Amino acid sequence: MKRLLYLPYYRYLGICLLSLFFAACSSDLDFNQTKNLRLEPTYVANLVYFDIPANEFVTNGIESSQFIDRSTVDVFNNTFFVNDLAKVDLDFEINNTIARAYTLDVKLFNASGTQLDSISIAVPAYYGASNIITQKEVFQGTRLSTLKSTTRIEMALRMASGTALTETSSGTIKMRSGITAYFVIQ
Amino acid sequence: MRKVVFLFCLFTATNLIAQNKQLLYNFTDIPQTLMTNPGADVKYKWYAGVPFLSGISMNVGSSGFSAYDLFANDGVDFNTKLRNVLSKTTHNDVLSLNQQMELFSGGFKLGNNYENKGYLSFGLYQEFDFLSYMPQDIATLAIDGNKNYIGKRFDLGDLSAKAELLSVFHIGYHKKIQDNLIVGARAKIYSSIFNASSINNAGYIYTNTSTDAYYEQIVYSNLQLNTSGIAQYNDANNTTNVGTDVKKGVLLGGNLGLGLDLGLTYYPQTNVQFTASVIDLGYINHTKNVESYSYKGFYNYKGLVPHFNNENAAQANYQDFKNAIVLDTLHTKYTTWRPTKFNASAQYSFDEERVIDGTCNCEGSDPSIFYKSAVGAQLFVMTTPKSPLFAFTTYYKRSFSKSVQMKATYTLDSFSYTNLGLGMSTKVGPVNFYVLADNLLSYADISKANSLSFQLGLNVVFKE
Repeated sequence: MKRLLYLPYYRYLGICLLSLFFAACSSDLDFNQTKNLRLEPTYVANLVYFDIPANEFVTNGIESSQFIDRSTVDVFNNTFFVNDLAKVDLDFEINNTIARAYTLDVKLFNASGTQLDSISIAVPAYYGASNIITQKEVFQGTRLSTLKSTTRIEMALRMASGTALTETSSGTIKMRSGITAYFVIQ
Repeated sequence: MRKVVFLFCLFTATNLIAQNKQLLYNFTDIPQTLMTNPGADVKYKWYAGVPFLSGISMNVGSSGFSAYDLFANDGVDFNTKLRNVLSKTTHNDVLSLNQQMELFSGGFKLGNNYENKGYLSFGLYQEFDFLSYMPQDIATLAIDGNKNYIGKRFDLGDLSAKAELLSVFHIGYHKKIQDNLIVGARAKIYSSIFNASSINNAGYIYTNTSTDAYYEQIVYSNLQLNTSGIAQYNDANNTTNVGTDVKKGVLLGGNLGLGLDLGLTYYPQTNVQFTASVIDLGYINHTKNVESYSYKGFYNYKGLVPHFNNENAAQANYQDFKNAIVLDTLHTKYTTWRPTKFNASAQYSFDEERVIDGTCNCEGSDPSIFYKSAVGAQLFVMTTPKSPLFAFTTYYKRSFSKSVQMKATYTLDSFSYTNLGLGMSTKVGPVNFYVLADNLLSYADISKANSLSFQLGLNVVFKE
């Protein structure tokens, strides 16, 4: 008799449990909204760094007035950069403590050797006061497209005429630079 | 319904925890409770699980966020939701999935009815395990970049995940060694079909202002991913197929390991019971189809340093990075430890019933039938690559008759403070059917659930 009394309860509970998975409710979810995913990460990194003491411009008593570096750069042609890079800032800072003026030319070339862009930074000679030159270059729109086609960077440091340097001349020309890359991923 | 199925698929696909079987534990009317405590007070003349249907269980969990947090159709921009999820989770949040299916199982009492020679039980089950911690810092770096995090160390150690598909052959024995003490043990042979684990990682990516270079940038990486049972598919000449490999793996053809379960049930008084068990104290030796990838090194990046008047010198800077942080492929064997589970419970039985289903149990020799009701508390602990996971459960168990028992639980764990569970075991003739499910409140809106688990199965049981 007792069993019959319990019967409705456990039958009810049993049915509830069994139908749990089938009767469960869920808030309205929209998985299509992943299509609206838009990430805008911004990365900063060092770009180019050098620190050249004055005596390196002199070899066996003779001045070398031009330093050139040609580097192959394939990072900007990477699909991720081509598709998702929206803006680039290049920040240059040159601290010259050598008593000579300099010009730093940075030239960008594409794969066929055509020059696409150039950046020129004039650095005055050091006369005892703080001599820090900063320059910001912004790549957006068409200029950004040229950056994305760049495969070679030529960097030329030219020393202007002035009082001759010797192997004991003091000072350095130090360049530090950073890149800020703004991505839009969607 | 479609939403529910989709949600389950989503959880399965995107990893989801714990292997806590708080409803099944010490539910001694169900033979499968022996898999959570080999020393459980289970009595049978013999039992056989219906192949493939005797024990199906799944636990999914996400301690940090739910599907609703990300996908609610509430007009809030998806990117805002993603950011909210990122800000509310920490690197200690876990995504986990555990699924088990018994292929066969059975057991019988040794000796005749009047002898106390103990019980044997055995079987083969398949198990899939996934556990991943939230790679918080890596996600932040990917979503926001490092510009607004100058001075922060992005911790590469946040990357901690493992996945494994394995089969387990087991044979267990339990015996009443004193009137009030039952002990049991189960030996296991693991056959790992595939394994991938990347745990114990370390490293960081650090950017800060500097007076030397524009930024102080340091990358220190000590990452390793071990895999077994996967490498063969990278070989273009490989002619085997996944189905054949899985079948072979299930039948002890995978990477092998050994394990042990231990347990006991103790009655200090007839209506007071203590139990404890240790499950999966074991390891697997990965020796076949092993391929590991390591990415280790230290690099202080100052920027490209031009070597003036020296052609192609800047390329050497890229090479410097590759030389400093080396990507290596290794084929050395490795050992993984199974996630070991510890269970313990204390139970007080009451509501004494001597006449059940018209039969008088007047001698009162059977404690599980002698009391219609029981209340108790259980503790569950599981090892993980980081700190152990804990769960505390209180429960009420009720025998409505010899054929119908129910257990209701309230569980407190990392995933939820509102986990109510309900389980039922029925026996019609020799056929035992059970279904157990937790987190019942979340079924009102399954999309907001942080964890769900269920077990169900069908057995043929002949009682002593």
